[in-house]
Amino acid sequence: MNQLSENPASWDAQMRNSSARRERGAAFARGREVSAEDITRLLEAVIEPGDRVCIEGNNQKQADFLSRSLLKTDPSRVRDLHLLQSVLALPEHLDIIEQGQVSRVDFSFSGPQAGRLATLVEQGRIKIGAIHTYLELFARYFIDLTPKVALVAAQAADRDGNLYTGPNTEDTPAIVEATAFKNGIVIAQVNEVVDKLPRVDIPADWVDYFVKAPTPHYIEPLFTRDPAQITEIQILMAMIAIKGLYAEYGITRLNHGIGFDTAAIELLLPTYAADLGLKGKICTHWALNPHPTLIPAIEAGFVQSVHSFGSEVGMERYIAARPDIFFVGRDGSMRSNRAFSQVAGHYACDLFIGSTLQIDLAGNSSTATKGRISGFGGAPNMGSDARGRRHASPAWLRAGREARPHAAMPRGQKLVAQIVETSREHMQPAFVERLDAWDLAESAGMELPPVMIYGEDVTHIITEEGIAHLLRCETPEEREQAIRGVAGYTQVGLARDRRMVENLRDRGIVRYPQDLGIDKRMATRDLLAARSIKDLVLASGGLYNPPKHFRNW
Amino acid sequence: MNVKPTCYFEASARTRIAKLVDPDSFSELCPPHLRHSSPHLARLNAPVAFDDGVMVGRALLAGHPVLIAGQEGKFNGGAVGEVHGAKLCGLLERALSERPAAVLLLVDSGGVRLHEANAGLIAISELMRAVLRTEEAGIPVFALIGGSCGAFGGMGIVTLLCTEVVISEQGRIGLSGPEVIETVKGVDEFDSRDRALVWRITGGKLRRVLGDATRLVDDDIASFRAATAELLGKHAERRLPASDLAALTEEHEQLSARARRYDTARDGRIVFEEAGFTELESVALMPVDDFNRHLEGTP
Repeated sequence: MNQLSENPASWDAQMRNSSARRERGAAFARGREVSAEDITRLLEAVIEPGDRVCIEGNNQKQADFLSRSLLKTDPSRVRDLHLLQSVLALPEHLDIIEQGQVSRVDFSFSGPQAGRLATLVEQGRIKIGAIHTYLELFARYFIDLTPKVALVAAQAADRDGNLYTGPNTEDTPAIVEATAFKNGIVIAQVNEVVDKLPRVDIPADWVDYFVKAPTPHYIEPLFTRDPAQITEIQILMAMIAIKGLYAEYGITRLNHGIGFDTAAIELLLPTYAADLGLKGKICTHWALNPHPTLIPAIEAGFVQSVHSFGSEVGMERYIAARPDIFFVGRDGSMRSNRAFSQVAGHYACDLFIGSTLQIDLAGNSSTATKGRISGFGGAPNMGSDARGRRHASPAWLRAGREARPHAAMPRGQKLVAQIVETSREHMQPAFVERLDAWDLAESAGMELPPVMIYGEDVTHIITEEGIAHLLRCETPEEREQAIRGVAGYTQVGLARDRRMVENLRDRGIVRYPQDLGIDKRMATRDLLAARSIKDLVLASGGLYNPPKHFRNW
Repeated sequence: MNVKPTCYFEASARTRIAKLVDPDSFSELCPPHLRHSSPHLARLNAPVAFDDGVMVGRALLAGHPVLIAGQEGKFNGGAVGEVHGAKLCGLLERALSERPAAVLLLVDSGGVRLHEANAGLIAISELMRAVLRTEEAGIPVFALIGGSCGAFGGMGIVTLLCTEVVISEQGRIGLSGPEVIETVKGVDEFDSRDRALVWRITGGKLRRVLGDATRLVDDDIASFRAATAELLGKHAERRLPASDLAALTEEHEQLSARARRYDTARDGRIVFEEAGFTELESVALMPVDDFNRHLEGTP
């Protein structure tokens, strides 16, 4: 019996299908180049109903022109799309859903569109496959959610279609690799077409079409925090983090979430941490976007290396002038890569610290609120123990010993810290008995409450009241009281068992500023290495060029 | 401890006064425990301050006796209401009898407090008259500007009547604020979110080039103190001449000429260019010392 001759299946149907698409597309392209006027017709020619389409868009760089062009396609031809993308960031991403051209969406973060997305889900106008973390979504691009069409953004193309993505390379390599090598169509919008690229980030034979967009792709300056807005509470929490956590564990490799709390830590490194003699002992190696607030620490010699998920608007010249610190190409501009940086943050960092909106009594932490489906981005990858990790480091080993003092088999643990003020704006408590995530899961028909960081992964909580070493707790009851013990004047904090909290304090599980030898009166803005955006510009020697709405001179 | 010098911009009015004058030399008049707060705000159920957002008193600065007032920009934007204005006027009136080396006004105000508009407007006009009367009596009045509210509205006018104006780069002087202009005239007239533009039009460096400010200093209280001490020394040597009509007429002519010259200017750039600053981008980042040296080198 001859299996081969009897098998009616062909093995290259997908490949022949993409060839057919390219033949249809040829009418609107000169080689790989498509004019802005023809792009909508090209999209109609190469996209088929039911296609999985990835529109590149994360929290920074956006393929905004291709998004707008997709909106103009004929809904009778371009329909039933399955959108797969890191972030639903632009209004256009939801307009295409409202136009009825999308039947399903898989994503990881929706930030500014969270409210609108929740409404569309409640109205039954869109089905969410799943809300992922960045790494999860990238992973699925290579397993069961491979894009058929990818719409990506690059800084420049040459005549052959090689792409230069520059400092904001971000998600492009992951998306293009998955699409180009699995019979997909890759279409890039570029800001300019040039004869010679500074460097090739994506080779031309992975790219089917490129189009020069009428306006440069949008980039959000997402990681710029104006030091002028950092409060004395945040400075106190930063002091607790530096002395009670970073110095305590000797943390050299880390990732900071976005926010003023972590910006305060960065700005206290050259002042407070330096005075504690911690230079060279903490915060030397980072997985971090190029935060402008890290400039003073870099200039003070605190930092040895930074690998970035993406770039940051205005930091280009500074980065290019610090190639010993950042990952810079031979052309002099940075190369970022979200997938690699996420992996680096997960496996090669000993600490993640970030803020959140709500923490429950088990330490589960969530940014979900009712009426908003906002997703996670990369925080769950950074903020979880890497169970596949096998290399040791002092901080990791110590955390493991503290978390499992009686375990027969020694193993380390990642430090995952949540840093929050006990009350947020409008006096909303950060500590709650029940996360809003439960209500959201119910109203949006989700299989799981959208929890950003699971309690079992959270090792520390820092508030203005103090630090709770949750990993040192022996029972769930102790854990609950340790959380209550730093929850301040919230209902959760007021309901603490005072005797138990005092006992935890005696055992070094809950520690207040006075226990750490921190004088709260020192927590003033005079401790910040930079008090304004201008101070950051000056610290950079004029190399940092902030967006104009951040200036006040 | 590795801390930066105390920033003037961010400091409260009380901190500014405490660190500006000689240690422990400040004694407050009408202090907060007397609770001179605004009856108008109370009637509107709005929060009041026991000092009505301004503290006044006497102190020594580099040994010179001064009367000093500090507006608290964080209370209603330092706006002038009835009690607030009366405290400032009373201080200037006291100067006529006490004859200090100078009266120092630490201005940080958006102008008249809208909750008590009429009383506030009257207070401003009284204040303008009081400044002129004090100067007429040979006592210089200094305005110090470096807070987040700057010197706007009526306090912008009062500031320009002062004998000396010490300003930091963050300080601003103007009449209508950028947000007000944008609201009334539209974003094409004035984009208040374009911070660089706002500072090129109202900020300390431009005011110094125009001559509205007589000293430009770094944004720390010690620098304000040093400049003020230097000016006190200067005025101690040379008493303020009683202003005469001829001098006033001449000043008015100069101001008219300036108004004509920059009539069509849409931006402070042209003013910097005429002052010989060739690289405009670098003006903003130029350290204050370099800026002052450049300016003094210009005829």
